[in-house]
Amino acid sequence: MIRAVPAGDVVALAAALFAVGAVGVLVRKNPLIMFMSAEMMWNAAALAFIGYAAEWHQMQGQLMAFLIIATAAAEVGIGLALIVWVYHKKLRLDVDDVSEMKG
Amino acid sequence: MVGFIILAVLSFAAAVGVVAARTPVHSALYLIGNVVTLAVFYLLLNAEFMAAAQVIVYAGAIMVLFLFVVTLLTAGKEERERSEGLPGQRALSGFLAITAGVLLAGVAVRYSAGPSVRPFASGYGSLPAMGRLLWGPGFDYLAVVALMLLTAALAVLVLNRAVDDGRRPAKVKEDPS
Repeated sequence: MIRAVPAGDVVALAAALFAVGAVGVLVRKNPLIMFMSAEMMWNAAALAFIGYAAEWHQMQGQLMAFLIIATAAAEVGIGLALIVWVYHKKLRLDVDDVSEMKG
Repeated sequence: MVGFIILAVLSFAAAVGVVAARTPVHSALYLIGNVVTLAVFYLLLNAEFMAAAQVIVYAGAIMVLFLFVVTLLTAGKEERERSEGLPGQRALSGFLAITAGVLLAGVAVRYSAGPSVRPFASGYGSLPAMGRLLWGPGFDYLAVVALMLLTAALAVLVLNRAVDDGRRPAKVKEDPS
């Protein structure tokens, strides 16, 4: 099968998705939405890896994307546990409420 | 190429939806759309196994986890986000993030090699090829992934144990995983 899409366009899309995710992390204050935006940034990185893997005909890039997806899964478990824990303490979903490092 | 553009527009629109949605549950649904379009991209880029893994892990596991937590924490509540904070923080951060994205995309397009005419090796990106790679030269990555997931599971257990801190009655906290 011959690829029809240049890798540069795929990576450009990945950059755009990364930027949108970064805007979400920086602008929103609901930790759940910030977290989903961060997931989108992981996804964009995986897309860039797979785009370059197709460009260079190397499967190591797909290996990296595999690593990224697994990391995202582990991160979601820990992150959501933290969000639930903070919510049980503060009873609000707002990152500005978590402004001190006291236990 | 037309398919690529349609998919790219869908994926980007879903991404904007994630950021712009008012409630977390809408964000989660948009994120599912984003994830599924990315899986189709992986298929276009000859990454069959990664497309399947993307749908199974993201749409199947991660988003279900998100929806559980969203329903657990925000059911029946509608909260406006408070807007105080550093003045101009939103505008400035949005501007900087978009500038960075445009620069990165520009570099990616500028140094693109164009469509490849070289055919892929047979089995490129398929499940057997990925398996050979993961259990052969890439076994370190597989071991690291296993260790990382185990650590994450332990961390979730530690974070969610019922603690009596004296201020609130100890209660059984829901395990999000």
